[in-house]
Amino acid sequence: MESRKPPPSALVDNHVVPGDVVLDLAEMTNQTIKLGAGLRQDCDTIQATSAGRLRLSKPSKYWVESSQKRYIPSVEDTVLGVVVDTKPDNFLVDIKGPNLAFLPVLAFEGGTRRNIPKFEIGTLIYARVVKANSIMNPELSCMDATGKAAEFGQLKDGYMFDTSTGLSRMLLSSPTCPILEALGKKLSFEIAVGLNGRVWVNAPSPSNVIVVSNAIIKSESLSGIGQRSMVESLLERLS
Amino acid sequence: MSAAAAATDGTYSPAAAAGEKRRERKEELRRHLAEDADWPRADGRSFHDCRPAFMQTGPTTAASGSAYAEFGKTKVIVSVFGPRESKKAMLYSDTGRLNCNVSYTTFATPIRGQGMDNKEYSAMLHKALEGAVMLHTFPKTTVDVFALVLESGGSDLPIIISCASLALADAGIMIYDLVTSVSVSCFGKNIIIDPTSDEEAWQDGSIMVAYMPARKEITQLTLTGEWSDGKITNAVELCMDACSKLCDILRERLKDAASLAE
Repeated sequence: MESRKPPPSALVDNHVVPGDVVLDLAEMTNQTIKLGAGLRQDCDTIQATSAGRLRLSKPSKYWVESSQKRYIPSVEDTVLGVVVDTKPDNFLVDIKGPNLAFLPVLAFEGGTRRNIPKFEIGTLIYARVVKANSIMNPELSCMDATGKAAEFGQLKDGYMFDTSTGLSRMLLSSPTCPILEALGKKLSFEIAVGLNGRVWVNAPSPSNVIVVSNAIIKSESLSGIGQRSMVESLLERLS
Repeated sequence: MSAAAAATDGTYSPAAAAGEKRRERKEELRRHLAEDADWPRADGRSFHDCRPAFMQTGPTTAASGSAYAEFGKTKVIVSVFGPRESKKAMLYSDTGRLNCNVSYTTFATPIRGQGMDNKEYSAMLHKALEGAVMLHTFPKTTVDVFALVLESGGSDLPIIISCASLALADAGIMIYDLVTSVSVSCFGKNIIIDPTSDEEAWQDGSIMVAYMPARKEITQLTLTGEWSDGKITNAVELCMDACSKLCDILRERLKDAASLAE
């Protein structure tokens, strides 16, 4: 058991699995720490409850970053949802979470009772999570914090595919992900990435859509250099 | 007709040959038990050696998380789905539900379709895992654990439990710790760990322990047959030690899978 008690933050940026002791509070006096997803306090220790990489954001925020096929809704996340049902006041949207999300009919720019959008079942929507609670269905909105539509709303045409939450986080990371940077230099395309592990791609020609989609799907298990070389070989075949 | 009968007499029957070998092995085992001596096991292991283990995450692409385990001849695949919304018929629950189901393929056992009692194994799997899964983190929803035994070579349930624990971790379900499980069989004065199906057929008793090594908690203990107090203590300690070592393998598998994904 002693081997699993490293000094504070020694495991940061390393892989942890459930049961690993990541912090020993007995060695950390007069410090305030914040625990995020995948961690819990057990007496004088902080233990991991899910497998992934332990992250630390200064000064003292710890969480476990993991890649999954399922998505746990979190406030302010941007997600790609599919309309599965329509009700008088809400659209029911599948966001790959434990429960269906509600999208109120008035949660659109200038939304009033007179101009309610008409979405058919199967419509793809880019939205923002405004309420996320484990005992309630999540609530979405197609407006930013200022009430403007911004980039949110219905996504027409294009192609949508599912990935892991880890890959979608990588695509949205800053600085720009190597795969998108390399593809963007040679091809013109539109992309919308949801933190729920869904990606939508649109391009002038279907062949470009296929190339971009395949490149993104394959990039999950590649390093930055590997991603660039893969894009080069794909584009060589395309030209 | 007689010529045809004569022709079939000399034909080779694999099933009959396999049955003959099994009978010979059982006779040998019975002879060793009568002597109550330290006898060699069929696969060359000593009494306190487990079978070589192979484990892997992610064989089922459609599932939220999955794992495959191979311990000697026993092969198991476990798929985890969810958390997903509980059916409307179910009552509201402020904690999540864990639904476990164990099934056998028709070709899992030497005699076709002779798998163990699935309902009993499903209940035992649920019992072993529910102490480890943080059910309060997904209220109103259900996590489904489906275990399929591809080949039964003995000690099926402990392998199912360990494999299910790995699949839950792969699915990102919040768990207190990985659950590993090992069983031991009693033959007279001898205690042997990780018995094969032939050994299970002749055991005097068995103990199965499901254990969380980091928390030092036993989530399930199943005991069958006659045991003395001292022997039970030895057997449980042996199981816990084996579970701790197996847990290290599970940890390595999870870390390997995570580093591969990156």
